[in-house]
Amino acid sequence: MNAASWPVVSGAKPGAGHYEEFTRHPARFLLRAYRECGEIAEFDLGGARHVLLSSPAAYEAVFRAPDDQLSASEPYRFMVPVFGEGIQFGAPLELERQQVKMQSNALRVDRMKGYAQVIAGEVEDWVARWEDAGERDFYDELKELVLRTSTHCLMGSDFRAKLTDEFGALYQDLEHAVSAASIVDPYGQDAAFARRDRARARLVDLISGVIHERRRSGAHSPDMLQSFMEAAYLDGRRLTDDEIVGMVIWIMFAGFHTSSNTATWTIVELARHPEHAARVVREIDSVYAPGGALAHTALRELPALERFVFEVLRIHPPLVTLMRLVKRDFDVLGRTIPAGAVIVASPYVAHRLPDVYADAERFDPERTFPENVFAYIPFGAGRRKCVGNAFALLQVKAIFTALLARHRFALVDPPESYQDEMPSLILRTSEPCRLRFERRTAAQR
Amino acid sequence: MSWRVEIDRELCQGHAVCMDEAPEVFLVIERAGDYAQTSLLADPPPDEQRERVEAAVKHCPNRALKIVETP
Repeated sequence: MNAASWPVVSGAKPGAGHYEEFTRHPARFLLRAYRECGEIAEFDLGGARHVLLSSPAAYEAVFRAPDDQLSASEPYRFMVPVFGEGIQFGAPLELERQQVKMQSNALRVDRMKGYAQVIAGEVEDWVARWEDAGERDFYDELKELVLRTSTHCLMGSDFRAKLTDEFGALYQDLEHAVSAASIVDPYGQDAAFARRDRARARLVDLISGVIHERRRSGAHSPDMLQSFMEAAYLDGRRLTDDEIVGMVIWIMFAGFHTSSNTATWTIVELARHPEHAARVVREIDSVYAPGGALAHTALRELPALERFVFEVLRIHPPLVTLMRLVKRDFDVLGRTIPAGAVIVASPYVAHRLPDVYADAERFDPERTFPENVFAYIPFGAGRRKCVGNAFALLQVKAIFTALLARHRFALVDPPESYQDEMPSLILRTSEPCRLRFERRTAAQR
Repeated sequence: MSWRVEIDRELCQGHAVCMDEAPEVFLVIERAGDYAQTSLLADPPPDEQRERVEAAVKHCPNRALKIVETP
């Protein structure tokens, strides 16, 4: 079958194709592409042929396809200078699989049981510096909370103690380099790429320092860093220090902006929807009080909070482009996508399909979610699903449990002024993201 | 009416939540060149494990497990 068997998105420019419009706001471009063309929409990024597929059946086919037919590593080459050569997509497929297994081993549920309490403690320390009432930018506040809680849980308290403002800034430099420009050429002349390389080199120094200190002192803590230090490939080879650093940057990067943007959107939507927020807060009050213990199991008894976060991830999925390079012709939806094309599955579009979600643009945490696992894909699906998905949900739920037990939040600006923005490939809230906060009194419980 | 458990191996990433919920039924094992994945220690599981297995199905972060009723 030839290319003419499905529509091409309008508005392509000679040479650049749809690059400019895609870059301005990838999520909005992809939604427009779907609405104009339907479940198969072709577009062009600087000469590279992309095919957006939009239906649960297509997602299932894509996420079940083997790596040698649909390659994830090739379209994500732009992550190699972020995580490092020899790591993830910079490693041969055989090694990359073993590295993902090391990541998922380190995130197993038995390791996560103490995390809820650690996170509640970090929230308590952080909000202690807030006034009784006031206004803050919650993009910044939640970025800091996510960084502190992730670092403490995954890298241990020694690493956490060394965490300075510098880390957040370094991760920000990495994020800004993950852009549409990096899809085209991640090694091109670009000030953002130069900052990325400097930031990574500095992170290597900082993280190596912690590894060496742990080795010297013989300290042993049951965290992810330790599990990387002890991990071995199937042939018995241990990770080199450089690989350990790459693994740390990978997991911290993958879970930083994604979780902090989810947390920011969660607090904005809570402030936008006071009736739903009241329900969430009542539920939290029944399992947790400030200063008390927060058990892993308590977080399971928060269905209203969970539904709320799911709805945030539906409307504002942090990653909006999941890509695969077709290595062998791929049959889907009755057509054949030829080798060489890049398939795009977009959670942003998937979560707005009218056949799946009634009144899809309306934020409604009470809605019924589809049974089909391929119809709701904020973390992707299949063998390459985000291995951090359980940690991310635990983290966001624990942060909000500790936060909402202590404070109330309200919008400062008009509700519609808080918008999805995409300065990188990761969706976030617009700036400023101001909210009013007020400490809850005993009488309000 | 009896029942058994189906594991979707294209969805399982070995998070081991099932093993935590129902340690007598599930065991996450490593396989050469692949993710660790869950497996069944008892297939079909004994009836008295039904409640634990239901919890495992419910809390699986990848929704890789399914209870199938068999005639």
